[in-house]
Amino acid sequence: MKKNNIYKILLASTGLAFMSACTDLVNDEKDSIVRTSAGGTFTPGDPVALLESAYKDLGAYTDQANIYALGVHTTAEMIPPTRGVDWGDNGVWRTLDAHTWDATHSGITNAWNQLNQRVFKATEIIASNPSASQKAQAQFLRAFNMFHVMDFWGQVPFREVTQGVDELPKTLSRSEAFDFIVKDLEEALPNLGKVAPSATNGVANKAAANFLLAKLYLNKGVYKAAAAEGPYTFDKADMDKVIAYVDAITADGYSLDKSYFNAFTTASKNETILVSLEGSAQNRWFMTLHYNQNPSGWNGFTTLADFYDKFEKDDPRIGVPAKGDGKEFSGIGRGFLIGKQIMDNGKDLIDTRTQKVLSFTRDVPLAGAATDKGIRVIKYHPSDASKYILMRYAEAALMKAEAQFRGGNTAGALTTVNSLRTTRGAKALASLTADTMFDEIGRELYWEGGKRTVEVRYGKFTTGTGVEIKDAYTVLYPIPSSAIVSNPNLKQNKGY
Amino acid sequence: MKSYQVGRPSERPWAGVKKTFFTIAAMLLTSLTFTVMAQDVTVSGTVKGADGSGLPGVTVQAKGTTKGTQTGLDGTYKLAGVAKNGTLVFSFVGMETKEVAIGNKSVVDVTLVDDTKALEEVVVVGYGTVKKKDATGAVNAIGAKDFQKGIVTSPEQLMQGRVAGVQITQSSGEPGGGINVRIRGTSSVFGGNNPLFVIDGVPLSGDNISGGGDASGVGRQPAKNPLNFMNPDDIASIDILKDASATAIYGSRGANGVVLITTKKGKGKGSLEYGYSHGFSSITKKYDLLSAAEYIAAGGQNKGGSTDWQDELFRTGQTSQHNLAFGGGDASGSYRFSLGYLNQDGIILKSGIKRYSVGFSGTKKFINDKLTLGSNLNFANTQDTGVPISENSGFEGDLLGGILKSNPTQPIYTTDAKGNQIYNQPGNTEPNPLAFANLSRDNTNTLRALGNINAELQIIEGLKFKTVLGFDKSLSSRKSAYSSDLVVTGIGGIGRAYVNDIEVDNQLWENYFTYDKEIGKTSLNALLGYSYQSFDRYSKSIAAANFRTNDLDLMINNIAAANAGKFGSNVINNSSSEKDELQSYFGRVNLNLSSKYLVTGTLRIDGSSKFGGNNKYGVFPSGAFKWKLMEESFIPKNVFSDLALRLGYGVTGNQSIPHNLYDRRDRYSGWGINQGADNIEGGGLNAVAFNNPNLKWETTAALNVGLDFAILNNRLSGNIEFYQKNTKDLLFLVVSAQPAPTPFSWKNLDTDIQNRGVEVGLNFSAIDGKDFGWEVLANTAFNKNIVKNLSGVYDTGEINGQGLTGAFAQRIAQGQPLFAYFLREFGGYDEAGNSIYPAGDFQQFLNGKSPLPTVTAGLTNNLRYKNFDLSLFFNGVFGNYIYSNTANAFFTKGSFANGRNVTKDVVGSKEGPLNAPDVSTRFLQKGDFVRLQNLNLGYRVPVKSKVFSNLKLYVTGQNLLTFTKYTGQDPEVSTNKSINGIPSFGIDYTAYPRAKTWTIGANISF
Repeated sequence: MKKNNIYKILLASTGLAFMSACTDLVNDEKDSIVRTSAGGTFTPGDPVALLESAYKDLGAYTDQANIYALGVHTTAEMIPPTRGVDWGDNGVWRTLDAHTWDATHSGITNAWNQLNQRVFKATEIIASNPSASQKAQAQFLRAFNMFHVMDFWGQVPFREVTQGVDELPKTLSRSEAFDFIVKDLEEALPNLGKVAPSATNGVANKAAANFLLAKLYLNKGVYKAAAAEGPYTFDKADMDKVIAYVDAITADGYSLDKSYFNAFTTASKNETILVSLEGSAQNRWFMTLHYNQNPSGWNGFTTLADFYDKFEKDDPRIGVPAKGDGKEFSGIGRGFLIGKQIMDNGKDLIDTRTQKVLSFTRDVPLAGAATDKGIRVIKYHPSDASKYILMRYAEAALMKAEAQFRGGNTAGALTTVNSLRTTRGAKALASLTADTMFDEIGRELYWEGGKRTVEVRYGKFTTGTGVEIKDAYTVLYPIPSSAIVSNPNLKQNKGY
Repeated sequence: MKSYQVGRPSERPWAGVKKTFFTIAAMLLTSLTFTVMAQDVTVSGTVKGADGSGLPGVTVQAKGTTKGTQTGLDGTYKLAGVAKNGTLVFSFVGMETKEVAIGNKSVVDVTLVDDTKALEEVVVVGYGTVKKKDATGAVNAIGAKDFQKGIVTSPEQLMQGRVAGVQITQSSGEPGGGINVRIRGTSSVFGGNNPLFVIDGVPLSGDNISGGGDASGVGRQPAKNPLNFMNPDDIASIDILKDASATAIYGSRGANGVVLITTKKGKGKGSLEYGYSHGFSSITKKYDLLSAAEYIAAGGQNKGGSTDWQDELFRTGQTSQHNLAFGGGDASGSYRFSLGYLNQDGIILKSGIKRYSVGFSGTKKFINDKLTLGSNLNFANTQDTGVPISENSGFEGDLLGGILKSNPTQPIYTTDAKGNQIYNQPGNTEPNPLAFANLSRDNTNTLRALGNINAELQIIEGLKFKTVLGFDKSLSSRKSAYSSDLVVTGIGGIGRAYVNDIEVDNQLWENYFTYDKEIGKTSLNALLGYSYQSFDRYSKSIAAANFRTNDLDLMINNIAAANAGKFGSNVINNSSSEKDELQSYFGRVNLNLSSKYLVTGTLRIDGSSKFGGNNKYGVFPSGAFKWKLMEESFIPKNVFSDLALRLGYGVTGNQSIPHNLYDRRDRYSGWGINQGADNIEGGGLNAVAFNNPNLKWETTAALNVGLDFAILNNRLSGNIEFYQKNTKDLLFLVVSAQPAPTPFSWKNLDTDIQNRGVEVGLNFSAIDGKDFGWEVLANTAFNKNIVKNLSGVYDTGEINGQGLTGAFAQRIAQGQPLFAYFLREFGGYDEAGNSIYPAGDFQQFLNGKSPLPTVTAGLTNNLRYKNFDLSLFFNGVFGNYIYSNTANAFFTKGSFANGRNVTKDVVGSKEGPLNAPDVSTRFLQKGDFVRLQNLNLGYRVPVKSKVFSNLKLYVTGQNLLTFTKYTGQDPEVSTNKSINGIPSFGIDYTAYPRAKTWTIGANISF
């Protein structure tokens, strides 16, 4: 009996022993790199891997939606027609064209999240004990992304790496953000590599930093204006800086390509300052080409006849007709696609829906457009497209011309503009006004993504074709409503 | 409460046991000695069953002693050394225990009868059972006789409509497709709303165990139902714990209710059962599309042919099932083996599911019945053949979209330049559905094994210790291929293949003590335990493109056929390995005071690795009280046969969120091949989660008041339940305050999701004669759902289709039910045929219209006449709305104007061809329906054979009639249309159509 009891006690205690804790519930992560930052301290990451990833994030600029859409759809260069049921997309495109967007617009929300997230990754790299070169590249990438935030919304949230999930980022005013970005670029410049023009320039370099600095100073009158909608004044000192930055790019060996469309191919040798190595330029043709073309597109965006008419007929930048010589994609021309379209074999292209020869029209309504409405635009050709270009020397040259013009040196500006025009094969201009300068920027840089900034600078953004809400407040986009919920420190922009 | 227990201790040598799992425990036990009392008489006799044959294996025991024996093969026994004035206790699993005083008799013969009543009255409550009349919580038990008959692929379907407050929605008619189970409404958004499933004591993780799909040109495809592995024929009973007082024993996993599945055990002298059935399924309702002639008459483009695409793709699916089981059992142990085979063809060409399953359960008692060893194992190989139907296909449409919108004048075939017959595929935007089905392949092969081995030891009288080792392992591989001959965006001229493998390895170790004690009129039942469960999960996925062959088998099985030399042709997307752990302490006390007042207190402390350092542990208490009014003298016994009032309150949790969302972690993102298969993108090092050590449980506090009653001499019995559930600390993926490492971060939202409802269950035995019987079972439930105190709004319910990019139909906001519809109010067309929206061209809430039903109901009529039995089961869902994304995307004038087929009503409408069909109430319809879900006619063949002991033939019809105003294919539908991970509910988009099925079958026992 005694023995029995002992066993019973033994058993009961064995049972209790089973019940003691056997895990501390701490994860042993095998498929990810843990960077726990307890108590506000920041655990540095691997700057090499993070930087590589930050470059990959540039792929977001190749999309036809979000960042690109905010930069171009809202201007007089592009229209996103709703074609029957197609491209209605709950009105996201039409509202961009008509300037009737609100704070819940998906494109505005997505661009805000994408850009700010990219800023944070760069901030993390800077805090992850990078080499001087890595730090400079991260600062450049931060500046590039933050520039868009400042440009689109006029205020910039900023999160320190030590801030946890519940801590709210502070907000920089447009002017503070301008200074912040300039400082990043100035600090980065000495440690960035000097590289020659190449179609595969995917790494931050001196020319790219100079390019962005030139753009910042060219627009400084806008960014430092007391009110976002202006008036804007452009100081000569700032314009001189623009010229100096562009001259620095020229000094690095950059020049204009004699063949305009060659600049968008893998054979580009003179102009390309920075591309996104991630992604490709394919969305630029998918978004505009018709379903029945090869490659089959999404039959979306077109340009407007008014804009097309800004070109002289003999300006080579207006386009190159399709060859239709039987090679793949030879049914697609370059530049503006207008009128009858052909197949790769040169025969007329039949629209399978209408059973008629496909012929793109000059006219295009915003809603209720038939499948053939609107002039299409091809700068990257599917047969030889380069990587997607973020910075190109021609834009720098035009920035210099505009700086000369705004700085009072109209003759110098005309020379710079005509140098570009003649290189391209267009006739030289006899004189230069603000309007002809503006038009020239359009003729050179159409559909490249930055037109909104140019229109704002020239005071033309709120008055373009198709704009319904012509109020001045639309020069800034609304802070997305989801962002204001997430961070009450953000104040909604005036007018929204 | 005492659990239902028939076996009593008996002397049983433990020799003859082959092997045991707990050698150490056993060795300890063998040294235990037991009292043997001196006796004076010998008794013998025969124990017979109701049919008069001898019953082997019956435990015969002298009451109050350990003296006992078992009957032999012929039912006879002999027991020596028992007291003259003693009593013999005859017990046998599944039969009523009988006590007979010995007196002066030396021969005691008894007849035992089936104890069906006792079996019915016991409910499983987690770590034990209670008598139904002693259950303090809202618990429903359903047994085999209540189960859905016919073709049932997974256990949830068995209980559809049978239990008040349990809504089961198959997301589509796909064989083996996903099933949503909602117990007492929807209380969570991200935390998953399916209940915790516990099979033979092993809680399942609830995660998918097979891969989803996301092929270029097809879209996102859901994983198959993870419970498909469980052969419903192996299930003996399902117990559903609905209120927090019952589910709190499962703590952090109890908020959505708990479903306890108990598999069949062997019983009797050993029997062999075989069941066979063959079913025929066909679509319940085709879409009312234009025929070729009608299409031309309406002004559609004539392409010269006449094709009914529905006829081409839909078929009569045949299903055959074989189930073979043998087993036996007595008071000292039981065993059962089962083999199952299911081969179900879907009603869409090529689709189907095959399952091979094996089940085993066994128990054995040792050492004077003080030690019980048991094991359960269910193992299945499931082979799914999918078709390219997805949840979010674009305007080009998936297979089903193709069936609906393809021009009926388009010939299926055409001839190529060489004169060979090939599929007529006009272009990327209009895929040929027959080509889509035949030029693609999607096979998922899943092996899952779930089981446990357990040992229970009686330490002293009333005190038992039980240890359970459980495991749940699965291996699944989904392989799909799309031929380059298939003209679909991203596939035509390219060819693609995908491999998606998932491996799951979950383990469980539980140890607990139970203690039963009776002191006078008070009885106590206590439970104290510890549980550890780990969840390991590995995945790997591969994509390949630019195939040099169009042979689908070769593409899958010789993936090097992809031209890897060409950049953009193949990529290992990614792999992952995650482990979650759950460590718990739990206890429960049941007090029964004078059989009149019953009190239950439960506490579970769960520690989970899914939560941050500051909140790893959560405490989940509950309490319940039952007052058996029937025991009070003031209750008129001539009116009531049972009356009891229950009150319960508890706090439970929800932890169904992804792995480690609180550590700042970086992971290389997956790579992907682009649309043109000429570039590979992705692979960056990106943050997985934001550092958030405060992340914690979502908790639901629930109150339940219930009344159990029986009147008319037990002929009418039922229960009424009132409940309120409030969910707070909602786990939510919120937009990060940018700049931030991730676009969204997980937080506990300070909100309150409230579900309030009433449930009524009634059983009425209308006629209970010898030859004729009629039983009516009815249940209904009302539930009201509302979100309170939520800051911000969250959109979900993505709507796809041409011109609908970015469109959504549902918004989660305060003051509205979850997933409330947020739409434009459609007011017809203007003269130009464009939609008009009288309340404004913007989306708005619609007085709380939501996809959540307010009323669900079930009605069963069981009739029997002599050897025939007939069961009719109707279920109904009311008060919900369905948004037809299918109609929005395909059934518009604009779609017709673009050369696509539409339903007949579109032609006559005043809509103009250029109207943009924005998301509006035009596509919102009431989802109410009443369905004749199950009709079962059985005939028990009177057999006098020595070979068969039982032969039953039956005919079953499933989903025979549906009464609804919903114009879509079927109102029981919910396609996953989540946005940013926020799930949707009640949206119909190209859902696999539902079938009606007739099955004939036979069950034979040997």
